[in-house]
Amino acid sequence: MSTPAEAAPLRRTLPRVTDRFALAGAVLIALIALAALLAPWIAPYPPDEVNPFDSLRAPDGAHWFGTDAAGRDVFSRVLYGGRTSLFIAVTVLAVSATAGVLLGVVAGYAGGWVRDVIMRVTDVFLAFPALLLSVALAVVLRPSVTTVIVAIAVTWWPWYARLSASMAASIATRPYVDAARCLGVPAHMIILRHVLPNSLTPVLVQVSLDAGGVILTAAALSYLGLGAQEPTAEWGLMVEQGQTLFTTNWWVVTFPGLAILLTAFAFNVLGEGLRNALDPRRIVT
Amino acid sequence: MPRYLIRRLGQALLVMAGVVALTFVITRMVPGDPAVAYAGPKATPEQLAEVRERFGLDEPLWVQLGAYVTDLLSGDWQTSLHTRRPVLEDLYHAFPASLELVGAGLVIAVVTGIPVGVLAARFKGRLPDFSVRLTSMLAVSLPVFWLALALQTVFASHLGWFPVAGEYDSALDTTSPLTLWTNITLVDALITGNWPIFTSTLSHLVLPALVVAAYPAGVIAQMVRATLIEEASQDHARMERALGFRETTILTRFALRPALNPVLSLIALVFAYAIVNGFLVEAVFNWPGLGRYAVNAISHSDTPAVAGVTLLVALVYVLANLVVDLLQGVVDPRARAR
Amino acid sequence: MRWHKRLLVAGIAGVVALAASACAGGQVRGAGGTPQPSTGQESTAATTTENTAENTAENDATFVYAPNLDVVTDWDPATSYSNEIIALANIYEGLTRYNAQTKEVDPLLATEWTSGDDGKLWTFKLRQGVKFHTGGTLDAEAAKKAIERTMKAGGGAAYIWDAVDTIETPDASTLTFKLKYAAPMDLITSSGYAAHIYDADALEENAEDVEDGKLDAGTGPYTIDTWQKGQETELTLKAFEDYWGGWQPEQYKKVAFRVTPEITTAWQLLRSGEVGFVQRLNPQLFEQAGMTEGVQAKQAPSFQNLLVLFNTADGPLKDVRIRRALQHAIDYDGLVAALKGAGQKASGLVPPGLLGHTAGLEPKQDLEKAQELLQDAGYGPDNPELKLTLTYAQGDEDQKLLVTLLTAALKQVNIDLQARAMAWNAQWDQGKKGGQDIFVMYWYPDYADPYSWFLNVFRSADDVQFNLSYLKDKEIDAAIDGLPRLTATDQLAAHQAYADLQKKIIDEQAAVAVPYVQTYQRALSADVQGYVDNPAYPNVVFFHDLKPAG
Repeated sequence: MSTPAEAAPLRRTLPRVTDRFALAGAVLIALIALAALLAPWIAPYPPDEVNPFDSLRAPDGAHWFGTDAAGRDVFSRVLYGGRTSLFIAVTVLAVSATAGVLLGVVAGYAGGWVRDVIMRVTDVFLAFPALLLSVALAVVLRPSVTTVIVAIAVTWWPWYARLSASMAASIATRPYVDAARCLGVPAHMIILRHVLPNSLTPVLVQVSLDAGGVILTAAALSYLGLGAQEPTAEWGLMVEQGQTLFTTNWWVVTFPGLAILLTAFAFNVLGEGLRNALDPRRIVT
Repeated sequence: MPRYLIRRLGQALLVMAGVVALTFVITRMVPGDPAVAYAGPKATPEQLAEVRERFGLDEPLWVQLGAYVTDLLSGDWQTSLHTRRPVLEDLYHAFPASLELVGAGLVIAVVTGIPVGVLAARFKGRLPDFSVRLTSMLAVSLPVFWLALALQTVFASHLGWFPVAGEYDSALDTTSPLTLWTNITLVDALITGNWPIFTSTLSHLVLPALVVAAYPAGVIAQMVRATLIEEASQDHARMERALGFRETTILTRFALRPALNPVLSLIALVFAYAIVNGFLVEAVFNWPGLGRYAVNAISHSDTPAVAGVTLLVALVYVLANLVVDLLQGVVDPRARAR
Repeated sequence: MRWHKRLLVAGIAGVVALAASACAGGQVRGAGGTPQPSTGQESTAATTTENTAENTAENDATFVYAPNLDVVTDWDPATSYSNEIIALANIYEGLTRYNAQTKEVDPLLATEWTSGDDGKLWTFKLRQGVKFHTGGTLDAEAAKKAIERTMKAGGGAAYIWDAVDTIETPDASTLTFKLKYAAPMDLITSSGYAAHIYDADALEENAEDVEDGKLDAGTGPYTIDTWQKGQETELTLKAFEDYWGGWQPEQYKKVAFRVTPEITTAWQLLRSGEVGFVQRLNPQLFEQAGMTEGVQAKQAPSFQNLLVLFNTADGPLKDVRIRRALQHAIDYDGLVAALKGAGQKASGLVPPGLLGHTAGLEPKQDLEKAQELLQDAGYGPDNPELKLTLTYAQGDEDQKLLVTLLTAALKQVNIDLQARAMAWNAQWDQGKKGGQDIFVMYWYPDYADPYSWFLNVFRSADDVQFNLSYLKDKEIDAAIDGLPRLTATDQLAAHQAYADLQKKIIDEQAAVAVPYVQTYQRALSADVQGYVDNPAYPNVVFFHDLKPAG
């Protein structure tokens, strides 16, 4: 994650998104989101309906993905799990991108000691690999979906801060911004009218690139028992619950794992495609 | 140069101070009484009080922070509540095993990622390129813990090609004890010529190292592909083409070298990431490294140990970045101006 | 040119990392232990061949036990009260040992014993020629010192000695207990915890070495070889050559504990022959074990049951009607079905095989009854939602199953159950402060007697330890206090007292629901014979009893 020096505004480049990968990613995401949204209507069973006398049943016509140790329908739980994962991803990215961009733009435009302070703080956070800090935080907080969101958002905002700070810094020195300043336009207006909108495009690309990572991290936290709790339908938690059954009842682990893979894959493909389309020269991570 | 050096060192120190403070705050808020964790589930109140006294758990937070920093600097990283050994000593045993695993993973990633990236660039827009992009994208999207479980189930449990878990067959400790020099089992076995342990470690290493390698291999392949395509469109490539060099030769002879630059700094970056990703892999494969230690510590509310792992990984990361920056400063004076 | 520099950078990062780890200075891994079997078999084999000719059957294999948790948290036999029983029971011995097959107490360090004065005077004759690992000889004075030290330490299960008034040593081989009230001393001395006889002076003088697992002071067949907390092979034991029970050549002289948290991994290690004993499999793997060549699957009833403790002191569950409703909401039969053999339905608080076990107390789910009771209490489907909190053990699949089923059942009667998996210490810490409505935990006795369920879990306590239903009932307390005397003097009356108490606690007070008694599903290598499960010493393998098959 580094800074594309400068990218064209979004609307001018959208028509160029013809990359087959990006398209496939967008379609996949649409399908996954649709399945998650419509889960209450398309899931054959309620996600928490137990049937202890019919537990660990192999996939068949009645249960496409089989049943888990409590006799719950794995297919229905995978569908509902999509709601949890997408909810986490959207919330984390919205929170961390908003916080990061605001801080970053202020830092980049203001420069001087403001920039130094904000950047040193982001440096501290960036010194922790994301999952490590999330784990440490999740240990402190009561494990739940909210905890996952907080723990990941706290580790993710610095990336946006750093990205938008360098964008803002380069925009702040442009002639028209100088002109606005000379004309006496107040700083917050300049930031709002000129700096912020121009920093958004790379941030949006970064958001779509990061969504896959957020979903993977959230699943990892739940897998470690630090996230969603029983009986929430969450993919990472489902893998954790089924892991001792992998050799004997493969379906309990396999389907939620594939769901994580597919969703993360769809977001990565879309993000990659968007980045290529927006800035064909800068294809490097 | 000295001014740059001082500035950069100061920055790094500041970050380290922040890292220490943040770690301390996080770990001091862990729920559950660490005294109970140390004294055991059925300890008496008197025993608990004694443990609290011994570890200063009753002092105010800022006093504890001051003591914490002083101790860290003097090499006392506290005693693990769980293993009852100094944390630094535990890390000293666990870290080399993680290095071994992550090192092996990165070697696999480089060895597969670079040629695959070259292949994709050579056949840009055609089937090889398509399949490389697809697989590398899949590799970075895989949930590591799930991949670890899947490989373990298929290749160790069902097919029996590789051992299920552990670093090497522990029975070898009695039949051919290993003399330690670097604490990295594979290296020590090699330099002392301990072949039973060497081969046992290698076979135990294959599956977890493959899992660790998945993500960096995908990233490296994508990066090599992208840089090569960029290089191949530059003037020197056009000239080489005009001179009659074949496309493959241009890519491997002329374009690859500059393309390796970003790959090498990428490796430094993914190193810390791979260590943490390795946590999940170590937990599945019972690999005796930092990850297994950390996961154990988490489930025992072992605050000092969690803090130790967090600190160590963060410090290694800061140090690696510092060294990279300083050397860049030596090589490239422009970097100092930033 | 520049990428060479990059390589250098990467190299330096590696060196920095290495420097942190380097300087092992040529130590041998696991140093401090015995590189060869402690009999010296291998070393003598090289020099004196005639020696080996006699001992061709000598067993120099290491028996490997795969526990799922770390083995040792406390090396002191006085205060130890945790998983280290699987090691300590092979290092230390008590005066007696409970025999699971005859349900009687067998002699161990005591060869015979008598009781008098209506169960208040007990005399034990000590075995002759027993040596401590520290070199001393066991006599009555040493045994007295050990028990008194344990009582004084007051930790762990020291309460088992509460009845003891004075200990006397009329001669070197006789130990006399004078009790404050009658108690079954033969059973008490067979306890897996706090009943060990050890060289108290040696423990006191070398406290630090004991804490570091470098020294033990027992009389058992094995002694500590190496201990590396947190390592995979955490602990190894070696034979104590002067063991009073003697050594046959085929017995295992070395034992290792290889900590393997993942059940699947443990099972694979057993199948590949890397470990000899796995203490617990899940039902699916256990079924597989039964069909696998080279593996014996062993199923045995345990003394361990699951307790679902309701908060009788605070919150909505203060209302006994809601507690009863919860008892009725648990799907007992469904849970046992989903456990697939890992547990059997419980009948009351006392598991089968123990004094006071009462048949006919099996609970049954009855959601209509639950709904009725809730309606009475102002909750249920047509009333406001009731929110309840529950805590249970992190990583325990069986407890998780209970939680899943209970959450689903309670949802039907408009109760929102918020369950939280916690590490034991955090769960317990919160429990001691009364911080939840429902507390789920396992309980098992310290010696083969049901007393501890009642004394520890249901006798009222101002300073809550395990009384996690916070029950305070004078009548119940008085009945509990009378139990040891009845057990020592009149077993029939004791049985009746236990039966009455269970009715009071479960039916009248509704302080607890007991869904099932755990069934141990273990597996061991088919190459081993002599293993007998003894539920009085949970998960313990008495290695001295084992020998290779064939």
